[in-house]
Amino acid sequence: MAALGAWRVLRPGRRWFSETVPGAPLPPGGPLYPPVVASITAKSKAAKSRRLQRFNQRVHAAATVEEKLRLYGKLQRPKYTVYPQTFALNADRWYRSFTRTVLVPGMPPRGAAAKPPVGAAGATLEAGKSQEPGAEAPAAPEAPGDAEAPGAAAGAVPSVDIGELRSLTCDALLQESFYQNKKRPFLYRDQDHTPGPFLTQLVSTLAASLSGRNPLLAASSLDLSPEVNYYWHHGEEVVVHGHRKGRVDPVRFQIDDNPHLQIRVPKQLPEVVPLESDLGDVPVIDHKPSKLPLFKKQYENKVFIGSKVADPCCYGHTQFHLLPDKLKRERFIRNRLEDQIEVVYRSNGIASLFAWTAAQAMYQGFWSEADVTRPFVSQAVVTDGKYFAFFCYQLNTLALSAETVRNNPRKNICWGTDSKPLYDVVEDGNVKGFNDEVLIQLVHFLLNRPKEL
Amino acid sequence: YPLFQRGGPQLRIFRPNFFMLAVRPGVPQPEDTVQFRVSMEMTKVDIRNYLERIYNVPVAAVRTRIQYGANNKRNHRNQRVKKPDYKVAYVQLGQGQTFQFPNLFPEKEQDEETRSFDDFRDKYMEKEKQKQEGDPRRGGVPDWFGL
Repeated sequence: MAALGAWRVLRPGRRWFSETVPGAPLPPGGPLYPPVVASITAKSKAAKSRRLQRFNQRVHAAATVEEKLRLYGKLQRPKYTVYPQTFALNADRWYRSFTRTVLVPGMPPRGAAAKPPVGAAGATLEAGKSQEPGAEAPAAPEAPGDAEAPGAAAGAVPSVDIGELRSLTCDALLQESFYQNKKRPFLYRDQDHTPGPFLTQLVSTLAASLSGRNPLLAASSLDLSPEVNYYWHHGEEVVVHGHRKGRVDPVRFQIDDNPHLQIRVPKQLPEVVPLESDLGDVPVIDHKPSKLPLFKKQYENKVFIGSKVADPCCYGHTQFHLLPDKLKRERFIRNRLEDQIEVVYRSNGIASLFAWTAAQAMYQGFWSEADVTRPFVSQAVVTDGKYFAFFCYQLNTLALSAETVRNNPRKNICWGTDSKPLYDVVEDGNVKGFNDEVLIQLVHFLLNRPKEL
Repeated sequence: YPLFQRGGPQLRIFRPNFFMLAVRPGVPQPEDTVQFRVSMEMTKVDIRNYLERIYNVPVAAVRTRIQYGANNKRNHRNQRVKKPDYKVAYVQLGQGQTFQFPNLFPEKEQDEETRSFDDFRDKYMEKEKQKQEGDPRRGGVPDWFGL
């Protein structure tokens, strides 16, 4: 008793040795002695699990989301920094195994009532989206002619004029690359010179013109180069060297991403498939992540979607990523690595979208011990100025740590397309070889909204 | 020798000590990664050119590191003996190729004679050991101890 009193003086407020208050009156008719449980401070597995349970209870009992995030990322240890835009070979397979994601090629099939019909090309679109360029080309010249679809269903929503949007796109492209007098780009700054401003201009004009059709866009918030961070545990490893050598630790990851543009909305996008659906397999890689190569660093464990928790636009809609000069197509072709071009797009889509959707889920109070009860859906467009690849991500589970992933049947799903060019070449004030499919897919992405609106 | 300029005749031949030794990785590596010990003066570009031009091996990526050889052992004169430093290269193969370091010492099948000879030898060694130990009922006590 004297020892307990002395400890209380030394460390006020923290009683490590027992959870019962000494001297408190016992409940009548109840047990005479406190329950026999494992120690908290011993160097044993039972003590470690008891400490983990106390930590989990503390996080569950936290009053606000900010407090939960603060406790979740409080302990700093060396962790792997996962870069969405990476030159590592076959990075998308590794990233899928870290984030428990299934990659489904092509875009998810959309219901006919979920989106408004798009001009006279609406019927061909519903039939086989982005798979028949032949069907699009004859349909596209008709679209500028008739703004209203004569035979389109759901006539309450006015259809979208593709010709007007195409002219907006070409205007933005020509302004950035032809009309405006720019000096030569600095070394390795090609992407910031032309494709960067073009993408910003394109997205802001398209979002502004489509906000009439999509009330969600009207209430959205467009961020310019925001920061998106996420920190999570997945799997276990033994500490190799240091004063903690020999102990079993969770493998920690952190994604710090800077998308070029981001649209955040106040309402959640609808789920694409039910929460427990299984559309494929997650690749299992037995090797350590450092073989990818992936490197460890210790710094702040940040979870951020682009705005703080109190912001009303707390759900994500679309992200736009610009690939840097280090990952240009020409460089891969020169080094004879043609198959890695698509890997770059896919790894960027999967990693960035996983970080964004998981951070959105954490902002709603879910975490690895309290798994999500509804799926979180977001979209992304990865481009290098000319080639566009579209991704849609559905987050079904956040429980990726070693204890929770054992009995977790759910997998996250990512739909992705291959990269397609928006235009062939810009010459003498004309845009040659404009591809309408890419523009239509972009418009679909921007018009995506919950069913109630 | 005249000073060399680009496009001129190459009159001197350099023969650097470039060697590559394929080794078994100490920690398991991914299937497309091969581990080499290379000469300390070789760079990643040199390693890529060596493999591609001499052996026609498609190389996707090369990463190198220098392993420091320890200087802790001491010889009979208490001088420190250094283990030599060497450079390790991890080469990722292109075009989806994989590589598994072969087992250089496979288990050989023993024929009838060697097997029976091994059995006979083991039995003989057991009998000899029994003779040396003495009576097990005495519990390890030597036989000169007693009345």
